[in-house]
Amino acid sequence: MPLSKKRIGIVCPYGWDTPGGVQSHVGDLAQYLIRQGHFVSVLAPAIDEENLPDYVTSAGRPIAIPYNGAVARVLFGPIAFSRVRQWIANGNFDVLHLHEPAIPSISLLACWAAEGPMVGTFHAAAKRQKVTFAVAPILEPVIEKLTARIAVSEAARETLTEHLETDAIVVPNGIYADLYRDGVTDQRWTGNTLGFIGRFEEKRKGLDVLVAALPSVIAKFPDLKVFVAGPGDAQEVLKEIDPYLHSRFEFLGRISESEKANFLASVGLYIAPNTGGESFGIILAEALAGGASVVASDIPAFDSLLGHGAYGTLFASEDSQDLAKKVIALLGDEEGRRAIAQRGKKYAQQFDWDVVAEKIYDVYEMAMVGGSTVTLSSENRAWNKFLGRQS
Amino acid sequence: MSEFVIALFLIAFFAWYLSYSATRLDRLHHRVETSWANLDGLLQRRAAIAIEIARSDISDPASSLLLTFAAHQAREASVRDRSQAETGLTGALGILIESSTSISGPIEQDLIRELKELTEKIKMAVSMHVDAVTRTQMVRKKWFMRFFRLAGNAPEPVTYEFEGDVL
Repeated sequence: MPLSKKRIGIVCPYGWDTPGGVQSHVGDLAQYLIRQGHFVSVLAPAIDEENLPDYVTSAGRPIAIPYNGAVARVLFGPIAFSRVRQWIANGNFDVLHLHEPAIPSISLLACWAAEGPMVGTFHAAAKRQKVTFAVAPILEPVIEKLTARIAVSEAARETLTEHLETDAIVVPNGIYADLYRDGVTDQRWTGNTLGFIGRFEEKRKGLDVLVAALPSVIAKFPDLKVFVAGPGDAQEVLKEIDPYLHSRFEFLGRISESEKANFLASVGLYIAPNTGGESFGIILAEALAGGASVVASDIPAFDSLLGHGAYGTLFASEDSQDLAKKVIALLGDEEGRRAIAQRGKKYAQQFDWDVVAEKIYDVYEMAMVGGSTVTLSSENRAWNKFLGRQS
Repeated sequence: MSEFVIALFLIAFFAWYLSYSATRLDRLHHRVETSWANLDGLLQRRAAIAIEIARSDISDPASSLLLTFAAHQAREASVRDRSQAETGLTGALGILIESSTSISGPIEQDLIRELKELTEKIKMAVSMHVDAVTRTQMVRKKWFMRFFRLAGNAPEPVTYEFEGDVL
């Protein structure tokens, strides 16, 4: 790894205390880089400013705004902008890593305010929308300041090319693959079982798609069981489910990492019926690394993560009948199920943090070639000279 | 009077926009230069490794000759001929790598591994540079930039056609 220690500034646009893919990606990356001996500072909005890890600096309280069909907890405005500027000025960074710089957030503000080696990571994969044509001219001059762009998936890269006409290097999100490599099969979960992990109360996680698919699956496999792991109120969810299906469900609550590994190694099929709002699908990467055979909705992020169906089975998103069909076919074909899971497990090794962080650092190194450090930018250098300011 | 204020405001805004656009272009040209410096450095290293491989036991005399020739050509090529020369080197290395599945010896394996790592990096560097160049060309083409000659004396960046086949 690096011979010289660098000062790295990372900006996370979403509230640090709300769980989310981008936040945990930033946290893991920061910790990895710190273990390599670098100085890392993360700037993020936070509700609870007292209990932050010492590498995180709060930019203020996030506000909830509807953006792109979901509620984003982000932060912007003049106070946030001055905090961002202050953080950049004091940080004396060699490189700045901005996450999701194309949404209204402190990442965009930092991109606007800074000058020098900057890397941007684009997480979102969204369909082309009319509104992007209106936003693109505003974003382009800002985004084009980035020295290098990373997209977390092919889908995210396509989104970027379509919306902002710029290319990116694909570096996936990271998982700790070794945590999932050696899961042991647990008899409680084996057999004709379906596994689901996630905040099941959230509509976009798609548990109801799975529920609607169950009757036809049960007709073929009467001993079917569904295990749901993750935080949430099981009673609330059960109320919505037909009482005759209740006995099929077992809610496990939040499970530990080692339980998760065993869970993934044991369940017959891992189901990811998400209806959207996924940027990468880290849980699928973990499921593959854990050796599970995966059935997932064909939303862009999952489609690209599963190699268009090479490492897991895809069904038409929100189509319960299609899901039922795929589940029935796979439960009846143990050979095929095992083969695809094995392929998936091997493929998932590329998501290991050792590989991913190394690649991200390679991009940093390329961005730092010029040798200059990150400074506050001046959009109008000529004026500064004219006014006798330093540029 | 109020017309005067508005006119003054418009002039000020126009002046601001002019210098803002000039800064934008300047920054883009800077990006082209640094990304090229990066790519150039990596390609030089690749040529150096290619020569080392040519001298090692991996390659037979014929491919040694081919490699050394290609590597020297890549090193000496001018900017405009560079991509063609590099593609030549890529081809020469590709032939060697394909037929070298049975490489033994730790030093040789190290060389091949280093070459593979470097190839990954070159791919990234190419994509970064190409993006900077196309972006710059696009912005330079805007009528506003052309009309006010905001690009100044900065040379038009040349597209580096690496044909996407770096090994």
